[in-house]
Amino acid sequence: MSDAEILHTIFTEFPFALFGSVIAGILCAYLGVYVISKRVVFVGATLTQVAVAGIAFAHLPYVHIEPVYGSIVFTVIVTLLFGWMLQSKSVPRDTILGASFVAAIALRILMIQKSAGAEASEIDAILKGDILFITADQFHLLLVAFLSIMTVHLLFQKAFLFVSFDAETATTQGFDSRWWEMLFYLTIGGAISIATRVVGDVFVIGFLVVPPAGAILTARKVKNIFLLSILYAILPPIIGLYLAFRLDMPAGPTTVATALLLLLGTWILSRLKR
Amino acid sequence: MKTIGKVLIQFENVTLGYRRHVVARDVSFTISEGEFVGIVGPNGSGKTTIVRAMLSILRPQGGVIRISGQSSSRLRIGYVPQRDSIDPIMPFTVFDVVMMGRYGRLGPVQIPTASDRNMTLDALAHVDLADLASTSYRDLSGGQKQRALIARALAAEPDILILDEPTNGMDLASRITILDLIKHFHSEHGMTVVMISHLLSDVANVVKKIMLVEPRFFQVGSVEEILSEENLRRIYDMPVTVGEWMDTKVIIARGKSV
Repeated sequence: MSDAEILHTIFTEFPFALFGSVIAGILCAYLGVYVISKRVVFVGATLTQVAVAGIAFAHLPYVHIEPVYGSIVFTVIVTLLFGWMLQSKSVPRDTILGASFVAAIALRILMIQKSAGAEASEIDAILKGDILFITADQFHLLLVAFLSIMTVHLLFQKAFLFVSFDAETATTQGFDSRWWEMLFYLTIGGAISIATRVVGDVFVIGFLVVPPAGAILTARKVKNIFLLSILYAILPPIIGLYLAFRLDMPAGPTTVATALLLLLGTWILSRLKR
Repeated sequence: MKTIGKVLIQFENVTLGYRRHVVARDVSFTISEGEFVGIVGPNGSGKTTIVRAMLSILRPQGGVIRISGQSSSRLRIGYVPQRDSIDPIMPFTVFDVVMMGRYGRLGPVQIPTASDRNMTLDALAHVDLADLASTSYRDLSGGQKQRALIARALAAEPDILILDEPTNGMDLASRITILDLIKHFHSEHGMTVVMISHLLSDVANVVKKIMLVEPRFFQVGSVEEILSEENLRRIYDMPVTVGEWMDTKVIIARGKSV
């Protein structure tokens, strides 16, 4: 297969994989700017594992619900718990997140063990990041989530930025930081739960961290960080899908590896410029 | 200078704390329009807790807090937090930071107008940072960061300015610049000011009314009443000398300035 034929196949045979991974990438990359600037990368990683546990729960015998609902329910519940528990000063934040992270992974393994073989292999495909077979329904759900979450974020960007910069002063100015923090984590939880079901956990964690990190390294203005992070999220899914075809590798991790190479290149360039 | 006007903040027998841990008990005071009030006390005595209650961030466990009288509009507070509490990863410019002071007036959705931008530039000019408007806040010195945060508080057109340890960790020149700036806003613009500090000499030379916060006691009065040698000796458990040198109040403990 020539390069042109591969690209033609991706665009014509796997449009949901291509556009789904680009949309998921943009959503994660945008939210990831806040995740990094609030220093809560571990929250993103933990919620991703909670989402996978929710998917595994949906595959249990006698449960049988649409996996994305399992993912959403688990993630929203844990997000609300985080909103309450992370305010506490008696237990360190890292301890709460670490315990939740391990609990989600343990739960996931136990539930996969109790699932039927075919269903366990579907969860396995999610974990491997097999994004080629994104369905039309999954793509449309992702698109709705993308439009809703981005609308909330663009409409209230001022409030999210103020609270992430200085929550206490924002509260004195009438922006109840606890409420805004909760809304922020709910949007993160919503994005992670749906994106994890569609493109897998490695992709989601990777795009929450890698494109924003590249943008923060490069941009000198806050507005440009968001724009660059989105730009960094568009190219890797296209290159990643091409490489996955060419080298016969799972598309999710290949896409994340491409994004990492882009970050490395950005970092080297930013060092050379100094 | 502005004369003392209506009561902006009133605490009546207020108890403050976090869950079962009581930090301050029976706290009663008033802050009126045009006053310059200092809040002093040893580390961990509850100074910041009292300010958090003034800012309505912390609810009292007992007693009554009245903010800006009964039915008048919401008291607009210009809050200047400890600058070390803000450590942004994102490259907010000094202008971005000061513009945040306007957000309270704009609400969560409205976009800043030309008038908001002008107010932001005015606030920057007041603290002599207009030239650094497009510089990243992260790249400022400690004193410049403090001035940017004061400008942000001023951009809110506040009824009262509340500063938490504004001179903490600064060199002598920056300290004097910040204190002069705060004094200027009080004396020239009639701004009501509340300043927390553990640097007794700083407070003694700029404020007229002092609140002394201790783990179990709370006193409020004039500088002379509260910062007496006897009072300070009891609180800090060491001999303290209070004197004046070249029209400046000096507070010395065992040969060290406190």
